[in-house]
Formats: sequence, C-alpha cells, structure tokens
Amino acid sequence: MINFEEELSHFKPSLEVEEVEDAIVESDLTDMADIMMSLIKEGSGNKKNDE
Amino acid sequence: MSKQVNYTEKCRRIAGTFYNMGLEKAKIRDLTGACRCLKRSLAFDKYNADARNLLGLIYYEIGETAEALVQWVISSNLKQENNRAAHYIYELQGKPGRLEDENVHIRRYNQALIQAQNDNPDLAILQLGRVVEHKPNYVKAHMLLALLHIGQENYAKAGQSLYKVLQIDKNNPKALWYMSIVKSHTGRADVEKRKLKNAFSHHQMQDDDIILPPTYKENTGWQMVLHIAAGLAMGAAVIFFLVMPAREEQLNDTHNREISQVLEQVNQKSMEIDQLEADRSAMEAERDAAAADLKAIVDENGGVLSQYQQLVHILRAYKADDFPTAVELYSDLDPAVIGDEGMQTVIAEIRQDMEERGYQVLADLGDQARDAGNADLALVYYQKSLNIKADNPQVLYDMAMVYQERGEEDTANELFGQVIMNYPDTELAGLAKEARGY
Repeated sequence: MINFEEELSHFKPSLEVEEVEDAIVESDLTDMADIMMSLIKEGSGNKKNDE
Repeated sequence: MSKQVNYTEKCRRIAGTFYNMGLEKAKIRDLTGACRCLKRSLAFDKYNADARNLLGLIYYEIGETAEALVQWVISSNLKQENNRAAHYIYELQGKPGRLEDENVHIRRYNQALIQAQNDNPDLAILQLGRVVEHKPNYVKAHMLLALLHIGQENYAKAGQSLYKVLQIDKNNPKALWYMSIVKSHTGRADVEKRKLKNAFSHHQMQDDDIILPPTYKENTGWQMVLHIAAGLAMGAAVIFFLVMPAREEQLNDTHNREISQVLEQVNQKSMEIDQLEADRSAMEAERDAAAADLKAIVDENGGVLSQYQQLVHILRAYKADDFPTAVELYSDLDPAVIGDEGMQTVIAEIRQDMEERGYQVLADLGDQARDAGNADLALVYYQKSLNIKADNPQVLYDMAMVYQERGEEDTANELFGQVIMNYPDTELAGLAKEARGY
C-alpha cells in the first residue's frame, strides 16, 4: 500500500530553464577515465618519491 | 603511457556497451532503463556524445526540457564539431516563445508540487490538469497527478494518468507500482490474473469447461453500466427504426380501414338521405296536389263543392219560384267544374232557360241599380247578363253609357264601338255614334 506522504516527499521539483546555467556549472563531469588517470598519476608519483 | 591508453580504451568500450544497451531500451520505450544505462555510459566516458545526446532526448521526451538542455549544452561543449546536440538546441531556442512556454508548464508543476506537499491537493490537481493538458508527455506531472488521485481514492482518474505515463515510459517502475495498486482497487487486477491463468493453464479439460474466446472480456462495474446503456440505446434504436415504422404502418392501415368503413357508411347514409329526400319531395308533391285538389273542392267561389252548393241554391230558388235569385246565382256558377254527367244535364236545362229569359232579368237589375245611382252594381249586373248572352247590344250600350258617365271614356268608347260595328243597322248604333260624338 502507498504511504502517500512518503511518496509525495520523493517527488522533486523539475529543473527550470533559468537554472540550466547553474546546473551545467555544477555538473560533475568526472568519469571513470579521469579517475583512472588520477590513480595512475598518483601511483607513478609515489614510485618516484620512493626512488 | 600505454597503460593509460589501455584504461581509457577499456572505459570507452564499457561506455559504448552501456550506450548500446540504453539505445535498445530507448527503442522499446523503456526510458527509465535507458536513462540508467546512458548515465552509466557517461560515467565511464563523459565524451560519449551519442550517449549524452540520447540522454537529453529522453529527458526531453519525458517533459524535462531543462534537463535535456543541460545535457545537450554539455555535449556540444565537449564535442564542438559534428554534434547533433547543436541541432537540438537550435530546435528548442530557434522558435521564439517555445522555451518560455515549456518553462511556464515546468514552473506550474513545481508550484503544484509545493501545493500538494502543503496539504492543498485539490489546487494541485487543478494546476496539474492544466499542465498535462498543454504538455501531455510530462511524466513527472502525470505521476504526481496519479498519486494525488490515489490519495483521494479516485482510482479511475489515477489509472488514466498512469496509462499515459506507461505509454511514454513502458517500464517506469513507480508507474507500474501505482498501476498495480489502482488495478487492485478497481478489480482489474483480478481480471488480468484470471486471464493469465486461463492463458497458461494446461489442465485436462472437463465436459463442463468453457473455452472463452480471446475477444471475451470481463466486465467491471462501469463497463457493465456502459454495456447496459449501449444495450438500451440499441434497443431504443431498434424500436425506433424497426418496430415503430411497422407499428405506425399497422395503425395507419387500421385507421385507413376504419376511415373507409366510415366513408362507406356515410355514403350509404347519404344515399338513404337522398332517397328520403326524394320520397319527401314526392310526398310533398302529392300533398300539394291533394291540397290543391282539396282547395279546388272546398274553394268558396270556384271550388267544386261551392259550385255544387251554388247549383243546389239555384234549384232551390227554382223550386221557390224565385227566378231573379236563380238568375243571380247562375251568374256566379262555373258549370265546367261540375263533372257529374247527371248534373250537367240539369245545368244544360238551366242554361237554356237563362239564355232565354235570365239575361234580361240581370239587365233589368242593372238598370235598376244604374237608376238608383249605383254604377258599380249596375256594371256587375250588366256583365253577368252579357256572360249569359253576349249578343245583346242594349246591354252593351247601357254599360258604355254607365262608363261614360263615370268618365271612363276609353272603356265606354270601346263598348260603343262594339255596338256600332256589330249592330250597324240598329237604332242603338246611331245612339252609340251620337254618344261618341260622330
């Protein structure tokens, strides 16, 4: 059975057109390739420090 | 360096795989599933323009225009050449007022959401009704509307909204869940369950088992009402188009037959009336003839009866030896009326006697009246005398003299003329000439 109040609370407002710019700026565009690259860079940096 | 390339390539491949899955799901309108796959694709490769563009399209399809715009703007920034996103942005922004209209409806939805969350569902329903009227693919608005209808236990209307959502996004899990609840309240769930059971049952058929045709549908309450109404309408149509004309024709035939009978009776009565009229006319004619006969008989002067009476009086005067009275009575007698042959013989004898001596009695009576100064009576007696014996110049002359004395010269001259012409050699002719002034 539906809990009406709870269901209602799940609804979120839609993004309005005026908010598009902010939404683009705030978008997190980090993808798996970026994460891998940073991990690789981090790993190679540590190796140099050890040497 | 080769490691980096290797990882990047792997990420692109994974992203491509998720994109393909998303595309397949989008093609079968599983938009929620497609959205999930495309987001994963972008998580592995943010430069996958196709995935981002398709995600924007899906957002646009479910009414989230601003979200679509976000994806397309990012896509066109990440890949500036040969990118379909630029076309989508141009389509949205190119037509003046389109983006503003879209935004108005989005804003209304947001207002409705606030109203719904602040215990004002009726106002929210009104607002959402207007939104979905202008933006029928706005899934979120339909979903909220359906939830509000469910909250008000208006399951039929909730079902309508959910049906539209599932037409846009077939596997929307929330919509499916809401729909299952709606169906359980409208009885539709039981019907579908029974259908499913019948469709997949493989038990041995019994003699009393009934095979339901695939076109058979269970009726819910409102469908039954609808069918009854349709049945009534069809019944009314059948009565109106089939029964009524036949009944009308039957009534017309009956009426025509009755009218014919009545007309026949009227004709018969008219004939009877004509016959009676003819009879009446004949009877009246007979009556008139009888009345005329009776009148002829009883008439005081010229009637048969009076003439017989007159004759009796004459005979009585003869018997009393009163000849002057007999002459006077004879002058008024019309012998032609008396048809009896025996009486005619008597009348002939009387006539002979009157022609021999009766006329002179009347002429004498005329003279007496003239001498007494009663010219009218004198003329009457003279005329009666002439009736018995016309060939009497003396009476003619006497009458002419009376008329002349009365100043009736024309009548007098005519009578004098008769004397002069008919009796030229008599003394009276000379007196007549003298009287006329020759």
